[in-house]
Formats: sequence, structure tokens, C-alpha cells
Amino acid sequence: MLLFNQLQTYLYLALVLFAIGLYGVLARRSLIAILISVELILNAASINFMAFNRFLAPHPAVGQVITLFIMAVAAAEAAIALSIIVAVYRKMKSINVEHATELRG
Amino acid sequence: MDIMLFGPELFYLGMALVFFCLTLRRQVQVRLDYQIALALSAVGVLVTGLCLFQQGDLFFKAYRVDLFSQIFKFALALGLFLVLTISHNLAAIEERYQAEFYFFLTTTTIGMMMLVSSVELLTIYVALELSSYSLYILVPLRRGDGIDVEAGIKYLFIGAVSSGFMLFGLSYIFGATGSTYLVDILPKMNQLVNSPIGIIGLLLALAGFFFKLSVFPFHFWAPDVYQGGANQVVTFIATASKAAAVALLLRLAVLGHASGYNFTIALVILSVVSMTLGNLVAIVQKDFKRMLAYSSIAHAGVFLMGVLTITEAGYIGVIYYALAYLVMNFTVFMVLSEVAADGRDLQISELAGLYRRSPLLSMSLILGIFALAGVPPSIGFTGKLLIFTSAMNAGYFWLVVIGAVNGTICLYYYLKVLYAAYFIDDPGLPVITLSLPMRLLNYALAAIIIGFGFCPDRIVELAKAAAKAVL
Repeated sequence: MLLFNQLQTYLYLALVLFAIGLYGVLARRSLIAILISVELILNAASINFMAFNRFLAPHPAVGQVITLFIMAVAAAEAAIALSIIVAVYRKMKSINVEHATELRG
Repeated sequence: MDIMLFGPELFYLGMALVFFCLTLRRQVQVRLDYQIALALSAVGVLVTGLCLFQQGDLFFKAYRVDLFSQIFKFALALGLFLVLTISHNLAAIEERYQAEFYFFLTTTTIGMMMLVSSVELLTIYVALELSSYSLYILVPLRRGDGIDVEAGIKYLFIGAVSSGFMLFGLSYIFGATGSTYLVDILPKMNQLVNSPIGIIGLLLALAGFFFKLSVFPFHFWAPDVYQGGANQVVTFIATASKAAAVALLLRLAVLGHASGYNFTIALVILSVVSMTLGNLVAIVQKDFKRMLAYSSIAHAGVFLMGVLTITEAGYIGVIYYALAYLVMNFTVFMVLSEVAADGRDLQISELAGLYRRSPLLSMSLILGIFALAGVPPSIGFTGKLLIFTSAMNAGYFWLVVIGAVNGTICLYYYLKVLYAAYFIDDPGLPVITLSLPMRLLNYALAAIIIGFGFCPDRIVELAKAAAKAVL
């Protein structure tokens, strides 16, 4: 049985990608790096959808449509995030989260 | 296709288009924009009210219009209208961005309206993002010293991560059941009882709504966004946005009905931690909006308590309390934004002598705060009573005890606000004069808070019919 023709392979791949993304969100200090990590989480979900779609789904198009939607929505999200990051940079002259500490919870 | 089914959404889409055109003008006309916004949103409340008893399916059954969704749409329309009534003085937002403020408020309302009607996973995701993205932009719109963009970026990233969680969970639900329609998923979830993929999938899928409702562990944004955002924007986040999140939580929690113990125990833990953490941290807050943020985290725990029963009584309580919460939280925010007319952040100590400076506002404050604290005979008390009773009947005795203890803790910081307003006076603080419409609004809110607290029957009947539609 070939590795790339099994559902498990893709589920593990997605899980690893999700974990890397989550670690990146928590550990990285640069706003751009956090944004990239968020995209990794979204892509992990996309891989899941594609894998389930390929191996399990009764209707073969649903997962692909969802993945396309995720891409489009993620692009919008990146646009908004980058524009706010630019605003942060203008105000604070830095995109390091450690400098954004005026609000303390 | 009956156009009335999609009436509210179409109306607000048109309203968004109007404001999109208004954002393109070269010279700003602040007064005109405001009057257009207020008039259109008033018509919107009317349109949504007319569509209250519509029923049907749209868009290949991905979109269901029933009493449940229409009640929440009416609440959202009302929320938008109320927020616009206190936007007559948008001091915190630059003149040239005010049309955009109205535009994004409208689009986020459309997003939430579509959210409460969607019964298909992809539709839920897209609608949720439509409503969130507009709010991400609204928070940093505030003019000022940089805390707004800091709040905005925190809001965006916590929101993005939680929607990533949600998407990951949805992918598992899709994989385990092979469908994206809630009606098809529901019977198949019964077979997934206590299998890890079903429960983890469902809990992750709820993350997106935990974020909106500021449930622990997705609550970190709330205090910062409440403090950093403009008062009007925060009012919208604290009222309408919560109602939409509650609605979807109710729709999705039904999926966990058969998952039994494991699923509910997770929700019980989240509810207890949210309530306790919110209430304890609220005590030490000096900033009024930060305090209200922690109070909203505590209220998220109360909502969750009703949701996790997954019984009709619990759902009735949650629907009633969601509507009540919208009104009473708005009342408090209305006082806040009227006292802080220049759009600054209000410290609790700045409420000093409110009974003298504006007796009417201080009356609204006392009613709003008592309703939030759950003091009879306000709507807040009735709502909490319904939720606590349902949780008790469902067998969550200790959860109710913890809820009651929290109800006592929260009295402390709520009364601190009233203490500042009634027992401390600062002669240096100016008298606040209210315009006639604002005075009428104050009386109307007071009538709602007391009136529906005494006779909640009509609303409970509506909530009962609505709960039947989702269960």
C-alpha cells in the first residue's frame, strides 16, 4: 500500500501543519510571522478537507469547493491583517508584539 | 422564491451599497451621513419586524429562514439601530472615516444576519468571516494614540486563530459524516457518540463562536478591544455580536446532543472558568469598559450554562437572555457613551455625581447595572432564572451553585459602579444635557427592562416557538 494513497498520511500531515501553525502563533514575536502561522492553520484545514473529499466523501466536489472558499477568505484576511500591521508600524515603528504592550489585561 | 424570505439581508445589502457610495465622496457631510444611517436602520428594524414570521429554505437548503433566525435578525437590526442612536456624536472617529464606520457596521450586520440563518458548514464559515472582518476594521478606526491599532491587531489575530480552529474542527465533522448540511450531520453524529473525532471536531468547531462570545480560552481580546475600540463600535461588539454568536452556538450545540457526557463536561468546565475568571478579574478594574469586558466574559459562562443543557427549557432561557442581554448591556453602554461625550475611555470614578449631573442617565445606569447583575424584577433576573432553572432540572446542580456564587461576586463590582455614581460627588464634573430623542430612548429602555421583567410571558412564548425550530 503506497503511503500517498492513504487517508492517514494526509490527516497526520494536516495535524503536523496545524501544530506548527499553533506553535508559531504562540511563539513568534513578529506580526508577519504570526500571520504566516495563521495561514498554516488554515492550510491544515484545507488539506483535511481535500483528503476527506478524496477518500471518504460521497460527493467528490464539496471538499474542493470548500478549499477554494478557504483560499479566497484567507486572502481577504491577509489583506486586512497586513493593512492593520502597516497601521501598527506607523504608530509604533515596530511590528514586534513585545512593543505592543500599552494594553495590559 | 419569495423575496420576503431574504428581505432583511437584501435591505441591509442595499444600505451597505448606499454607504459605499457615500464613502466615495470628496467632501464630508457628517450630519447628513448620520441622518441617512439612522433613517435607514430604522426602516431596517421595520423590514426585519415584518419578516418575523417568514419560513422557508433558500440556496439549496443551505440557508434556513425560521422563527429562530428571524428573532435574532430582529435583535441584530435593533442592535444596529440602537448603536446608531448613540452615534450622533462620533467624536472618536475622524470625520472622513465616518461614512466607512456606517458602511462596515452595516456589512457586519449582514454577516451576522446570514450567520443566524445558515445551516450549512461552509455558509456558516463564510458568514462568520464576513461579520468578523468588518469588525476587525472597525476597531482600529478610532482616532488616537495607538492603543486602537494594538487592540485591532490582537482582535484580528485571536479571531483568525479561533476561526482556524473552527475550520479544522469543521473538517473533521465533514470527514466523519461526509456532509456539510447540519440536517444530514445530525443523525450521523449519533453514531459518533464518544468517538474522539466527533467530539474534538465539534469542540474545535465551536471555537469560532467561543471567540465571538469571549468564552475562556478565547477571551483575551475582550478587555483590550473594549478599551481600545471607539465606544460605539464596542457597544456593537458587546450587544449585537454576542447575540449572533449565541444563536449559532445554539444551532451547533444540538450536534453534541448525543455525544453525552464528554461533550457537556467540556462545556461545563469552560462555563465555570469563564464565569469565575470574568467576575474575579472584573473586581480590580478601574476602566469602565474593561470592567464591562470582564463582565461579558462572565456572562458568556452564563450563556454556556444554558446551551450545554441542550434541552428546550435551556434554549428558551438562552434565547430570552440573549435578547435581554442586548438591551441591558446597551443601556449601560449608552450611559457610558453619553457621559464620555468626547469619546474618551471612561474611568469608573468619572461617573461621580451622576445622580446630580443627569438624573435620567443615572436611572438608566442603575437599571442596566441591576439587570446585568440579575436583580429582580429586571429582564436580567428573569433570564438568569430561566437558565439556572433549566440547568438545575437537567441535573447540573454544582454548576448552578457555582453560578449563584458568581452572581454574588458580580454584585460587588456592579455596585461599585453605582456607588461611584450615587455616593461620591465631584463638583468639578459638568452637568450632562440630553437631547429629546436621547431622553425618549432612556425612557423606552427603562420600560423594556422593567416591563419585560415583570411580564416575560410574550417573549418566553416566542423563545419557546423559536427553540422548537432548532431542537
